[in-house]
Amino acid sequence: MLTIKILGPGCANCRRVEEVARKAATDLGVDAEFVKVTDFNDILAYNVMTTPGLVINEKLVCSGRVPAPNSVAGWINEARAA
Amino acid sequence: MDWLAAVFPLAQSGFGNLAAYLAAHVLLCLLPAFFIAGAMTALIPKQAITRFLGRNTHKRVSYPAAAAAGSVLAVCSCTIVPIFAGIYRKGAGIGPAITFLFFAPAANILALVYTGGIIGPDLAFARFFLSLSFGIGIGLLMAMIFRSEDEAHDRATDALFAAQDANGISRAALAFLGVWVVLLLAGTLKIGVLTDAHFDLIAPLSGVDSLQFRLDALVPHNAANGEEGVSVHGLALIALLATIGVAAWRGMERIHEGFNRWTWTALGLIAATLLVASLAVQAVPEGLRIGFTGRFFGVFAALGLLGAIGSRLSTDELRDWLWESWRFVKQIFPLLVVGVFLVGVIRVLIRPEWIQALAGENTVLANLAGVAFGVFMYFPTLVEVPIAKMFLDLGMHRGPLLAYLMADPELSLQSILIVSAIIGKLRTWTYVGWVAIFSTVAGLVYGAWVDGASLALVGAYLASFLGLLAIGLWWAERRNHVPAGAPAILEK
Repeated sequence: MLTIKILGPGCANCRRVEEVARKAATDLGVDAEFVKVTDFNDILAYNVMTTPGLVINEKLVCSGRVPAPNSVAGWINEARAA
Repeated sequence: MDWLAAVFPLAQSGFGNLAAYLAAHVLLCLLPAFFIAGAMTALIPKQAITRFLGRNTHKRVSYPAAAAAGSVLAVCSCTIVPIFAGIYRKGAGIGPAITFLFFAPAANILALVYTGGIIGPDLAFARFFLSLSFGIGIGLLMAMIFRSEDEAHDRATDALFAAQDANGISRAALAFLGVWVVLLLAGTLKIGVLTDAHFDLIAPLSGVDSLQFRLDALVPHNAANGEEGVSVHGLALIALLATIGVAAWRGMERIHEGFNRWTWTALGLIAATLLVASLAVQAVPEGLRIGFTGRFFGVFAALGLLGAIGSRLSTDELRDWLWESWRFVKQIFPLLVVGVFLVGVIRVLIRPEWIQALAGENTVLANLAGVAFGVFMYFPTLVEVPIAKMFLDLGMHRGPLLAYLMADPELSLQSILIVSAIIGKLRTWTYVGWVAIFSTVAGLVYGAWVDGASLALVGAYLASFLGLLAIGLWWAERRNHVPAGAPAILEK
């Protein structure tokens, strides 16, 4: 079970990151819980200043851009192997 | 049927205004501007700038860096808010955070290009320089007024700003960005080499002159109050723009799943549209006279270069660039279309005498009126520009106009809410007050300069304002019994 967090105030890019991450998780057949983090204090706690941010199992994997689905798939696999 | 007779001229003016804008202003100015904004967001690594915004950075670096971040990185509140919160909470503190907040909406690339293209480069430059100096000024003031509270942050870590991966921008990406700027300049500068047609061609199309005649009847054009009308050329461009819209929707919306045929179609159409827009086209009795201008060759060369450099960017970079550009278009363009239409409608209702009486001359009252209008009216990103153009056409003086343009984007309900959520109400209202004062002064000074006041007099105005400010601050400083050595801000 993975925890995937989307950091961001809910702008277009944050929604897109969530879409991409959900698709990657579904394609891999991974069971994941999605959490949206919108409070700036919580976002800053991950040392992120450029949203959207993507956090998999409490590790920040990407910030400031929308990643490609296959990069997200790579990070999910890394997190599962760890 | 009375209401119909009343509504028709309004709708006609609204659509006429919209058509004239789409045909004349959007293409060579706004289209490249969207791509430049997209490239800045996608290709410039944000750490390259934000690492200068850390807690331990010297003021001389952090304030200019905050302004640079505002102008380069931030076009929408989506980027503004996190960076603002980051600078304030974990970084350089309230001063640079305010500088960033003030500068971002007024001087980001889209706002500047659009102001320059529609109202004139002089106002764009005034907006840039005055926002820069006043942004830094207000930042310094806020840092000083709230210094004691700011010091509480000093124990926070600087980790956020340690250059995580301090890679600069890649050379190909920088060249790509540079050529887009060249394309923008080639497309918008009004100099003879670019605007003159170097040779003409007549396309024997019958009926274009009668089409032009009908367009003139349909779309009001009257240079006196700024109505521009639509040409056959403009009509063709509007049609191309609509086609781009369809292709882009299908090609860009799902770009994270890969490039498809629609993506390339949209890009090809955009290139074609930029080329067509740079021609000088005129309807004559024999057909369509097409003039190949210097602009056309400039845009052609730039597009060729972009193709060559673009192929050296990675797929990730290209995808991020297209996505960010498309996102800006999706976010801003619909609001702009509605805004421009409404401006056309309102233009019929406002009597030029009202504007001339209220703000036709560069007085303190006129500048205050400009600022008050800017503070109380909220317009979405960039819509302030066509509104300012309308006021200008109706007889507003350029000074109060600048005051309005400075106050409107900085102070909206949205930004006030964001700021107060992060720094608290007292500080927010202090900020609002300073912006109002600074905007009024900016309008007065710029207006005096437009009216032909000598540089010395303008300088004297500015100096006396800053002098009064310094005395006020010094007095406030004394009253607060701040320990000696602290007011480093006043040293410069």
